[in-house]
Amino acid sequence: MASVQTEVLVIGGGATGVGVAWDAATRGFQTILVERKDLAEGTTGRFHGLLHSGGRYAVKDRLAAEECIHENFILRRVAADTIEDTGGYFVSTPWDDDAFGDEFLRGCRDCGIPVEEITVAAALEEEPRLNPAISRVFTVPDAAIDSWKLVWACARATKEHGGRMLTYHRVLDIIKDADTVRGAKVRNELTGEEFDIHADFTINATGAWAGVIADMAGCPGVEVLAGKGIMIAMNHRLVNTVINRCTMPADGDILVPIRTVSVIGTTDIRIKAPDEPEVTRDEVDRMLDDGEKLVPGFRQARALRVWAGVRPLFKDAKAADSGDTRDVSRSHALLDHHQRDGMARFLTITGGKLTTFRMMAEETVDKMCEQLHDKRDCRTAIDPLPASKDGNFYSLGERLVKREETMHHDQLICECELIQRRKLEDVMAQRNSTILDDIRRSLRLGMGPCQGGFCMYRATGILHNVEQIDNNAANKSLHDFLQERWKGVQPILYGDQLRQARLDDWIFQGLLDVEHLPHNDLAEHDGQPHDDLAEHDGPSA
Amino acid sequence: MRDVLVVGTGLSGLVAGLRCQEAGLSVTVVAKGVGSTHLAPGTIDVLGYDPELVEDPIEALPAFIQRNPQHPYAAIGATTMRDALAWFMQRFVGYRYAGGDGNLMLPTAIGAAKPSALVPETMAAGDLRNGGRIVFVGLRQLKDFWPAFAAQNTSAVKLPSEAGVTARAIQIEAQTGGEADVNGLAFARLFDDARFRRAVITQVSAQLEDDEVVAFPAVLGVQRPHEVWSELQDAFERPVFEVPSLPPSVPGMRLYDVLRTQFERAGGRTILGAEAVGAETDGSRVTAVQVSSAARVKPHPAKQFILASGGFGSGAVTMDSSWQVKEEIFGLHVAGVPAEAEERFGPHYFDEHPMGRAGIRVDESLRPLDAEGNRSYANVAVVGASLGGAAAWKEKSGDGISLSSGYRAAGVVIEESK
Repeated sequence: MASVQTEVLVIGGGATGVGVAWDAATRGFQTILVERKDLAEGTTGRFHGLLHSGGRYAVKDRLAAEECIHENFILRRVAADTIEDTGGYFVSTPWDDDAFGDEFLRGCRDCGIPVEEITVAAALEEEPRLNPAISRVFTVPDAAIDSWKLVWACARATKEHGGRMLTYHRVLDIIKDADTVRGAKVRNELTGEEFDIHADFTINATGAWAGVIADMAGCPGVEVLAGKGIMIAMNHRLVNTVINRCTMPADGDILVPIRTVSVIGTTDIRIKAPDEPEVTRDEVDRMLDDGEKLVPGFRQARALRVWAGVRPLFKDAKAADSGDTRDVSRSHALLDHHQRDGMARFLTITGGKLTTFRMMAEETVDKMCEQLHDKRDCRTAIDPLPASKDGNFYSLGERLVKREETMHHDQLICECELIQRRKLEDVMAQRNSTILDDIRRSLRLGMGPCQGGFCMYRATGILHNVEQIDNNAANKSLHDFLQERWKGVQPILYGDQLRQARLDDWIFQGLLDVEHLPHNDLAEHDGQPHDDLAEHDGPSA
Repeated sequence: MRDVLVVGTGLSGLVAGLRCQEAGLSVTVVAKGVGSTHLAPGTIDVLGYDPELVEDPIEALPAFIQRNPQHPYAAIGATTMRDALAWFMQRFVGYRYAGGDGNLMLPTAIGAAKPSALVPETMAAGDLRNGGRIVFVGLRQLKDFWPAFAAQNTSAVKLPSEAGVTARAIQIEAQTGGEADVNGLAFARLFDDARFRRAVITQVSAQLEDDEVVAFPAVLGVQRPHEVWSELQDAFERPVFEVPSLPPSVPGMRLYDVLRTQFERAGGRTILGAEAVGAETDGSRVTAVQVSSAARVKPHPAKQFILASGGFGSGAVTMDSSWQVKEEIFGLHVAGVPAEAEERFGPHYFDEHPMGRAGIRVDESLRPLDAEGNRSYANVAVVGASLGGAAAWKEKSGDGISLSSGYRAAGVVIEESK
């Protein structure tokens, strides 16, 4: 069996893990990251897209608020390309206590969050869809952040510093001797190949799954609560500014304009297993009612897709047990397993939020340096990520500008998200993945109003071409993608999106008859490793 | 006052309107826009799966009806279906339809074999039942047709006849003049031009092998498809067939043009951009349909009304975020909607879903029924995709339902107008 040697092994390809890899690699450590699926496949890719100003925590959780505003300013500089500077409002709706605004204002000021109260008239002029019955409005530097773009940028920076990202590599076991962790035994989920990664230091950054990995390392009792949050993407940007309810954090109180949609979130329900959380009709209903409070007519607007993310909330053994995970601190937890369990060369970082991922990574790698007696300075607050070097924020019209430039020599494959053929082919070749859902995360393929109705046949044809895969593999990619899309639209099929789904049926069942493709044993492979892709290379290291 | 007002101009509305007009009734068709024809592949799929592959839909229909008493086919009947198919074929001269000998098995743009009862003559040579060799021709600027992918799947098709199919793909560089993206309709217009065809013929001829049949995306002309197709067959000295792909559908437009032209020649009136928004009633009869056009609503009175407005896909039947289902024009009862607490759609895309058969239930004269099973209106007939009781996508029965219900409703209206 082959084995690989590295200085640092990071387990988990969400923002936290990728952040740790970025930090370690830029400090000059030889770094490998392993992720059992694709980067940002878990919680990181399933959130509302809010770069917090800290306003949301200003009254309740001062520490979290201060961390947020600190990181908000840093990310605007080092990750500018992933951020759209929408600004944010906190609004008092008729269902909120007006007086909370005073507390909010005080909290923000104490935490160093730039805040200003503006008139309702001024706010409505900017955001005419807002409920005109709101009584107070405060501005804060909230923004929209594209977590996929952020994670790719960190991965790219890691690679530029000699690091490797092994996606679709599952950790089977932690390699250890009596009191020291020595790496992990992993399996390539696409080829079935198993091998050992020997590491001088191992960092567990698996979010809601951190307890599982800690157990493997012989460090029991790491309890991470899974808090399920559902989010609904609405077609169009109902607002262009992040809208928060000015009240104690609750369900359905944030509306984030991101890219071509706006996302309403979220709920917080404690669930047992973090895998595949389901969305219920009640949750959707509640979210729509909450949306109606912020933007009247919300129920008539078109919902595109719903999903659930799982917040990792590290539970302090001393805290009282409570069904509402919102009471558990949003701040992160860095576990020193040497101190805690007598297991050296092993740290767990969990909890936290996307806004503070960089700070969490810095703290973790600092701790590692300390334990390795090898102090090196963190670079991530100073050196911008690869695509952010010019310091420009992302702007909504970027793709349209590019499209207009290349109209006469490049085809448009996804009309909703303005994805051109060459770009799609490049990403397919680069990622060397036959999984269309991976391509979706890179390019937003199939994420617009038609949810893949028109682009999926084209993209599969291109995949068949570019990746030189056979018809069975291409059929499976298409089939898996349709199932993946269905999961996210099925709970919100009403109004115009139901109409759209009927058109998509027309295309996939009435016209192409995907269901009766030859060799259709596709359903049997549902959820299984992609064995039938075995002859192809997995995603690039 | 017109004798008949038809709402909708998809296949069912076109058929109902034309048949009534041919029988001497005065007919007006109002529609929000062109209908489902422009989305559909232009084939007439009557019954393809039950749930196993159906080899001959006409033969299979009586037994199918017995097992599915709530299906629209049960109200329409096998004999009417046979008559409707014959009537339909007679309407196409010049550009003909082929079929009648069981389901043809045509390769789709992805290379699955799809069962269809009638198909345009320009598609018939694609019938995979007898096996053979096929070359799929791709046009580089057309992103809606992937010949290599279609060819590889088609080669793997397994049919009851066990006839072997071998397929390969070629790609040609057509002279389209400029844009990187040329859609199917634009290509169809180019194919109507003899010079463009000659250039294509030159490129393709050089690459053909001995006994191959030639498959093109379904863009072989929109004005003169018969001429275009015949010319290619003559030039290649072998059969040529079209494979339909993503909307807008060129074969669907041809179908629409043929039926609408005949309807208007017979004296029928079509008003597009006219959305039916409500109805005026007098007891059990509808007296007029309110039509919104050019920013005002006007009543269109008639003696008989045929509702051919489509189902959930067209917006004629809607479901709001509170799960309230509504037929938008007459407020007809929509049957087959799961109860409040029950699941609407299942977790797997390709399963049949609880909402799948929701729609308007009718009696044998296609008069709509209320929740208790009584006629809602005596002079309204419901046809096409708004009919409940069918799993049209699973069965591949949507075109058959539209054609036969449109034909049947016209029969009822003609009979009652005597």
